[in-house]
Amino acid sequence: MNKLALIIYREWITRVRRRAFIIGTLMVPVLLGLGVGLGAWLENAEMEENKVLVVDLSGMITFWDDTRQAYLPICPECFPEREQLEYRFADAALSDDEFLLSDFTSMVLLDDAILQHGQAKNLYEKSPSITAQNAIERDLAAAIERFKVKEELALDYEVYKRLKTKVSLVGEDIITKDGNATGRSIIGFVFSLFMFMQIMVYGMHVMRGVIEEKANRIVEVIISVVRPMELLAGKIIGIGLVGVTQVIALTVLGFLVFQVGGQALEVSGVLTSASNEAVELDFETWMASNDLLGFVLEVNWPLMVVCALAYFAAGFFMYAALFAAIGSAVEQESDAQYLMLPAMLPLFAAYITAVMAIQNPEGQVAVIGSFVPLTAPILMLIRLPLGVAWWELVLSLLGVLATAYGFVLVSARIFRTGILMHGKKITVRELFRWVRHD
Amino acid sequence: MPTAPALDISGIEKRFGEQRALAGVGFQVPQSGIFGLLGPNGAGKTTLLRMLNGITAPDAGSISFFGEPLTRAHLPSIGYLPEERGLYKSMRVGEQALYFAQLRGLDKKEARERLRYWFDRLEVDGWWHKEVSEVSKGMAQKIQFILSVLHEPRLLILDEPLSGFDPINAQRIREVILELKAKGDTTILLSTHDMGSVEEMCDEVALLNRGQLVLNGKVPELREAARDGRYAVTFRDTVMAFTVALGASAELIEVNPNPEVPGEHLAMLRLPAESDIATWVRWISEQVELTSCTPWRPGMRDIFIRAVEHQKQPVA
Repeated sequence: MNKLALIIYREWITRVRRRAFIIGTLMVPVLLGLGVGLGAWLENAEMEENKVLVVDLSGMITFWDDTRQAYLPICPECFPEREQLEYRFADAALSDDEFLLSDFTSMVLLDDAILQHGQAKNLYEKSPSITAQNAIERDLAAAIERFKVKEELALDYEVYKRLKTKVSLVGEDIITKDGNATGRSIIGFVFSLFMFMQIMVYGMHVMRGVIEEKANRIVEVIISVVRPMELLAGKIIGIGLVGVTQVIALTVLGFLVFQVGGQALEVSGVLTSASNEAVELDFETWMASNDLLGFVLEVNWPLMVVCALAYFAAGFFMYAALFAAIGSAVEQESDAQYLMLPAMLPLFAAYITAVMAIQNPEGQVAVIGSFVPLTAPILMLIRLPLGVAWWELVLSLLGVLATAYGFVLVSARIFRTGILMHGKKITVRELFRWVRHD
Repeated sequence: MPTAPALDISGIEKRFGEQRALAGVGFQVPQSGIFGLLGPNGAGKTTLLRMLNGITAPDAGSISFFGEPLTRAHLPSIGYLPEERGLYKSMRVGEQALYFAQLRGLDKKEARERLRYWFDRLEVDGWWHKEVSEVSKGMAQKIQFILSVLHEPRLLILDEPLSGFDPINAQRIREVILELKAKGDTTILLSTHDMGSVEEMCDEVALLNRGQLVLNGKVPELREAARDGRYAVTFRDTVMAFTVALGASAELIEVNPNPEVPGEHLAMLRLPAESDIATWVRWISEQVELTSCTPWRPGMRDIFIRAVEHQKQPVA
């Protein structure tokens, strides 16, 4: 094995076999699953027991039922049964004392003024959750709408419901014929986020590795055997491969989770046709027919993965070279803070732009950023699922590669001097001097 | 045909910004012996050792390695134990030793065999599977020493090899170094402040100070040349009687009870340059009971201090 390969292998193996790496990699899908589950659980858990008294002062949405001896909604389906939301109806409000003594959590007062300004007063002792408020608002709106349809248009509500039309835009790129831009931009954002984290985490690994070798004084022995450039390259490639290993592991894990989860859902029989619940579907057909998830199958995954790896390789080299130079110029990690800030600014700028670009991946800032080498690895990925011309991709990637090459050359000059410097606080001016002097 | 020296260092110059680290240093290191590179802190020793290892390049001057201009191609023939040394803390000892051995150009199988020998020899064989963070400093020092000799280099550069060792392990390492010298295949360049080791092990030395060579030569010759007319004398009598007898015949530098022989005193004195020692001994023996009189040769410590203190003028 030649020396460069030896260094790469050492950097790689000592990291991938660490318990923290293995557990961390396995935990990503588990944590993602837990995150989704926790979100769903919180949404339900947030809604506490609500018992609402709807006081219909103008008799618009309720009637007196003799047999049940109670006020009931004219439109029962407007007030669907929910686990944590129960309605009672009345034609007169309770006094404050009566309300406080009762088991109602809210008392909503409705009169015909609602037809003008669309507001109803809600009295409570403890404010209901936003989820509960939204549900009550939706239910009351449906009931008032029914009243308006009948009273003002003299139309049958069922007829009205049939006439009522909802329009949603189904996007399609005129050239690529691809649709569902929002879903795709979310996929792009997930890739961008992952890229941001990988560059950041493994860039820091490079910096720490350099600081360790410098602080432990191992570096003097190593560079008496290999050139500083070889050591730097070996370190960056080795640690970069740790990142690639993690990506591959996560891809395989993700694929397995997708397959196993899909089969489990198929077996459980919950995957049914949207138009006919009696028709059971296989996982892929169900995904394709699902409005929310169908776009996942439309994304060009091989292109995404290949581009993600290419941008990771180039982007990582670029930033890792910077981080290595910083590591070589300091004695310990805490000294690196003031040098880290300028190096990390473009990364954070790219991340913030990516967050904003979810809504509009083809916006000017994201498009320009996808050609700026320091931000391109993150911002091109958010554009990629929506379709990017090949020349744009090539131009952007070449820019990143050229910058990475330049950074490695500059970094190597700082590195070879910095790693042997001890007991001296290095200034930015000194770094520039190291770079200028061959 | 005369044998080329292991190292022929000539006119080496090196500046770091305004600081002149080496100013025209030149000397030769003969093959197959132990050569001491001495000098106070900041004399330029580490800079010179780094040049020999290809870590830094001289601004001017030349270095020959066994008759050839020193290049990176020679680095596999050099072993280096720097003064500031360390190991990867989170790697296992054996794995790390194999890594460095392979970086030095040994194949894995050969490296494993040689490591087995050296680990056994220096009694670190039980530590192969331990992480470096678990081993003691002395143990780590031994491993680092092994890594510098494992590939059987033609030139072995040892910078303070005994620092950090307890007396037993220091002696063990000293024996290994002397054994390597005795085999004759390895030239050892020893940089140290331990003058006892220099006297015990080195055949020749070069003394650097402020980036300049101030002394160079064989150890016995340097010690002989540094003689200044002093003699160590032992006698069985009172100090008063000895002082009276001495009169103005010699300068008494110091006198103390001889720690090795009870009832005896040990005096250090300097005779005038024109004196004949045999005549003087006969004369003084008639007055006090003289038991020995030997010419005093300064140790390397005295030579070191004298040479450094004499070179007071600043270097530009």
